[in-house]
Amino acid sequence: MAKVLIVDDEPHLRLLYETELRRAGYETMTANNADQGLEYVETMGPDLIILDIRMAGMDGIEALQRILDMDNTIPVILNTAYSSYRENYLTWSADAYITKSSDTTELLGKVKELLDAKMVEN
Amino acid sequence: MTRSSSKKPTADLARLGMSASRVAQIIVDENWRVVVASAGAGRLLAREQDEIEGALLEEFVANVEVFAGCTDRECPEDGCFRQLDVNLGNATVAAEAHCERFADADGHMYLNLVLHDASELEARDAMRAARLAKLNLLNQVSEALYGAQLSLPQVLESVLIAMTAGQGLRFNRAFLLLVDERTRRLQGEIAIGPSSRDEADRIWRDLADQPTDLYEMMTSYDTSLKQTDVAVNNIVRELAVDLGDDDHILVRAMHSRRVVHVTEADTGHGLPDVRRWLSVDRFAVAPLATRRGAIGVLIADNAISGLEITELDLEFLQLFANQSANAIESSRLTEELARKVLDLRKAQQKQKEDQQTLLRMERLSVMGETSAIVAHELRNPLVAIGGFARALLRNLPEDDSNRQYAQIITEETSRLERIIHDLLDFIRPQKMMRRNLSPDQVVHEVARKMHPMLQNASVELELDLQAGDTDVNCHPGEIQQVLQNLVFNAVQAQPDGGRIRISSRYLEGGVLIQTADDGPGIATDVADKMFSPFYTTKTAGSGLGLTICAQIIKSHGGVLRGENLSEGGACFSFILPLPKSETENGD
Repeated sequence: MAKVLIVDDEPHLRLLYETELRRAGYETMTANNADQGLEYVETMGPDLIILDIRMAGMDGIEALQRILDMDNTIPVILNTAYSSYRENYLTWSADAYITKSSDTTELLGKVKELLDAKMVEN
Repeated sequence: MTRSSSKKPTADLARLGMSASRVAQIIVDENWRVVVASAGAGRLLAREQDEIEGALLEEFVANVEVFAGCTDRECPEDGCFRQLDVNLGNATVAAEAHCERFADADGHMYLNLVLHDASELEARDAMRAARLAKLNLLNQVSEALYGAQLSLPQVLESVLIAMTAGQGLRFNRAFLLLVDERTRRLQGEIAIGPSSRDEADRIWRDLADQPTDLYEMMTSYDTSLKQTDVAVNNIVRELAVDLGDDDHILVRAMHSRRVVHVTEADTGHGLPDVRRWLSVDRFAVAPLATRRGAIGVLIADNAISGLEITELDLEFLQLFANQSANAIESSRLTEELARKVLDLRKAQQKQKEDQQTLLRMERLSVMGETSAIVAHELRNPLVAIGGFARALLRNLPEDDSNRQYAQIITEETSRLERIIHDLLDFIRPQKMMRRNLSPDQVVHEVARKMHPMLQNASVELELDLQAGDTDVNCHPGEIQQVLQNLVFNAVQAQPDGGRIRISSRYLEGGVLIQTADDGPGIATDVADKMFSPFYTTKTAGSGLGLTICAQIIKSHGGVLRGENLSEGGACFSFILPLPKSETENGD
């Protein structure tokens, strides 16, 4: 079962994504800030990461660069309330960019798409 | 010398003085015998003085009876004027006599007659009348030029009309040259006058009862004479003299500040040129001078009638030129002032607009920052609320009455999320890169993306793309967004299905793109509000769709227009600019 790491400082959103992903059949783990997220990347080897951008402390953009330094084979979905980050070239190295929505169809679709692609590669 | 130093008897002196006088004067006694006659009387009566003295008055005057009663002490008409027929032997000429009675110490009565040649008087009267008429016209011109606020061309025309009018200076032709500061030349501006004897005869006949009022003259000139001035105006446009050519007759005349009369005998630098231009040997040049300096010259001639230019003509030309120069200068200054006032008004208007734009931009900027923060802070909790409402909806059994509430929460949060999305898009600065690409390709891409949605709505999409290979300079994502929005609106306008047509046409400077539908069209009360932010006719819209579209098109240098088609339905159109180098080449 694929493991998805959710990094978001909003507890209700973590719970929402966790609920939806589990329902879709994924194993989940959650981190409430970027530092904890990086630690889990190292220790728990997630198959995919859903990363918020605006967080207290280290932001998602910096976290993304560090994740890529650690292991650039893990797909990263940037999931943010700000659609304008899409214009920041530092976000371009993420595998997907999704604006947060109460309708998780797009997010779940993207998770499946990226994991399927990864499986084909492997 | 004092009066008391004179030793000569007074009577002798008086007689001597009168006798030598050039004024025609005679003294006759009660019997009409001439006692004394002046030298002037001898000339008028064509006789020697001593031949006249001692003779009877009737020997020289045919109608001596006009003096009947003049020597009577009681004559009530003393100091009267009498008309005489002077007998010159072989001819009779008319004269006028001023008749005064006086008596000597012994009480004998005498008449003192001062005689004038009537023809000389008439000539003098005629001269006076002519001067008066000219002065009158000069006065009228002056009043008209200063009082009527004429434009510069009208002033120039009035000047020339007055120079050639029968009531005016009566020249055949008049030419006006002004200093052109830019080219430093004395340049011909305007002329009036016939080009041939026939034309002149016709004009003078037409003007036999020309109005004396300058305004009427100008009107009649406008309606009947203007077409005759073609030839002289062709001449005047050729007249041009370098101001540095100090010795040239026209430049010299301009600086001399006095009217110059050129006759056949005159020679000098520039004269052959001017004679060739005008095709006459004799003409007058009057300087147009103001307090600020020389501004040009007037040239006048009698090329058609061949009449001599008289001293009187020159005198008035000089006076008239002074008046004209001041009028021209005044009109120029007035026009310059008007121009400056207009420039100032425009600058003020521009400044006002700039200030308003700045204020609006500041307001928008503050509004934008605030909206971005608010939108973000709202989006996170909304996602949680909406997400869990969906989960709830999914988990509740079909017959649970709470499903309806969960449904409402889901829909309402979706609506709020859409508003936030639109709002963030609206205030996001448009910095994205533009590139040159085929507009038809963008339309095809939109058609492909929207195909499933159109199919669901039973709407048929017709493409009529004729921009061909023409590229436009645009941001493809933004233009796609505009087209998607327009197509989406058109679908919503046809809830029972219908047709949407997208067309592209090459125009000079850009490509015109239109989307048209078969819906009900734009309601009149919507037309002027539909591009305003937050205005919507839909129950589930943010009211920002068309506002964003209009802003995107505006940022591409175009205007988004919406109108109703005569055959029904609405049509939205905009123009995308060609790549820069192409438009430049196009120019």
